[in-house]
Amino acid sequence: MGVSLPTVPTGEASFLTTRLDVVVNWARQNSMWPMPFGTACCAIEMMATAATKYDLARFGMERMSFSPRQADLLICAGRVAYKMAPVLRRIWDQMPQPKWSISMGACASSGGVFDVYSMVQGIDTIIPVDVYVPGCPPRPEGLIYGILMIHEKVKGESLADADLREEDPSRVGVPNLAAGVIEELARPYGNSTTQNRVSGLVDTAALSRPSDRKP
Amino acid sequence: MADRNLEDAVAGLEAGPASPEAEEPQSGESADASSHPSVAALRATFGDAVLHHAIMAGDEHVVRLKLDRVVEMLTWLKDDPAQRYDLLADLTAVDWGGGRPLDLVYQLWSIPHRRALRVKASVSNADPVADTVSGLWKTADWLEREVWDMYGIRFRGHPDMRRILMPEGYAEGHPLRKDFPLRGRFSRAEQTRRALSIPVEEHYSERELSVIDEVLEHHRGREQGGGAG
Repeated sequence: MGVSLPTVPTGEASFLTTRLDVVVNWARQNSMWPMPFGTACCAIEMMATAATKYDLARFGMERMSFSPRQADLLICAGRVAYKMAPVLRRIWDQMPQPKWSISMGACASSGGVFDVYSMVQGIDTIIPVDVYVPGCPPRPEGLIYGILMIHEKVKGESLADADLREEDPSRVGVPNLAAGVIEELARPYGNSTTQNRVSGLVDTAALSRPSDRKP
Repeated sequence: MADRNLEDAVAGLEAGPASPEAEEPQSGESADASSHPSVAALRATFGDAVLHHAIMAGDEHVVRLKLDRVVEMLTWLKDDPAQRYDLLADLTAVDWGGGRPLDLVYQLWSIPHRRALRVKASVSNADPVADTVSGLWKTADWLEREVWDMYGIRFRGHPDMRRILMPEGYAEGHPLRKDFPLRGRFSRAEQTRRALSIPVEEHYSERELSVIDEVLEHHRGREQGGGAG
C-alpha cells in the first residue's frame, strides 16, 4: 500500500494503526469489486453466484468491475490457454493494490483434465493466487465459501505490514514461479498422458515419448 | 504379455488408424454414382481426375480428386448451374499418422439443389502444399489458416497465411499432426515463459488494422460533416 504509519519503537503496530486496520479492513471486505475473468463453464457458476438466488450483493460485490483499474478481486473462472496467459498477467498487473485473487475450479487451479500443449497448468504459474476453489465447476456455495475466506484474509491484514502490498515493477509480465517449480507442479501425477488402459493404469511414461520434449 | 500389448499400442500410435477408404478399391467403378448426380457429372467432365468415390455412413458421398486439379474442379462445382455448391461448410484436414499423406477435406453444400458433397485430396506429408480456395469461398480464408496452424499445410495464393488459433510466434510445430506430442515439445516452464512474452498488441495483421483505420476515418468524416452542417 505504501502508506507509512506511525509505529511504536518496539516495532509493534500502534493503537491508532490497529484501530484503523479494523475500519479499513471492514470497508475493503464489505465492498469488494471483483474482476470476473471468466473463460469457461466456471464463469456460468460465477454468474449464478452473482444472480438473485445466491446474490453476491449480500457481500457488497454486486458491482462486477470489467475494468481491472477499478477492481480489487480477480476471479479467474475457467481454463486459461497459453495464448490467454499474457492477457491474464496484464490484467493482474493493471489492478491497483490492494488486490486479491481467486482461482476458481480445477482448470484454473491445476489445468484440470487439460494436460495438453495449449493449456496453462494452474494460473499460479502466471499470477499469485490467494484462494483456490476446487470443483468442476464449483457450485455457487463453493465460490461464496472462497470469497468468505478472502474476507477472513482481509480481516487479518495490517496497513503497517509493508511486505503485504509490496509490488516489484521488474516482476511485471514474468512468470509468477521459478522455472523449476513450474516443472515440478506440471508433472503428470496420474494424468492421461502417461497412463493408459494398456499399461494397467501404471505410470510407464512409455506413450508420452519424452524424446519429443526439448528442455 | 503386458509388454507385448504396450509395444503393440506404441506401434499403433506411431502408425495411426487406417483410412476408412483404405480397404475399398481406389479406382474402377463408383460406389453408386447414380445416387449422386454431381459425382456422375464430375466423372463425365473431368474423367481421370476423379480418383475415388465412396458412400460413408449411409448417404454421405465422398469423392477423392487429384490435388493439382482440385481448385479447377471446385470452381466448376461452385459455378456450374447444375451443381452450385455455393456453401463451403467446412475445410479441414486429416493426418492418418505413420508419415502417410494428409487428407485435405472440403465439405460442400449446394443451397439451391440441397445437396451435400465431400471432396478429399491427398497432400504430401513431407512438403504439404495446396492451392487456396479463398478466392471461391471467403470463409476458406480463416479455415485455411486453421488448417495451416493445426496441420502445417501451406496454401499457395492465400492472402494472409498466418496462424489463427496458436499464438503467432508458436515454435513447437503443428499440434494436430499425429507426431506432435500431446503436451507440446517444450517444457512447461519454457511454454509459460514464451506465453508471457507474447506481444498481445501485435495480434492483428496490417490488413486488419487498416480496416480499423478505414472505419475510424469514416466516422471522423461523418463527425466533421455533422459539425459543418
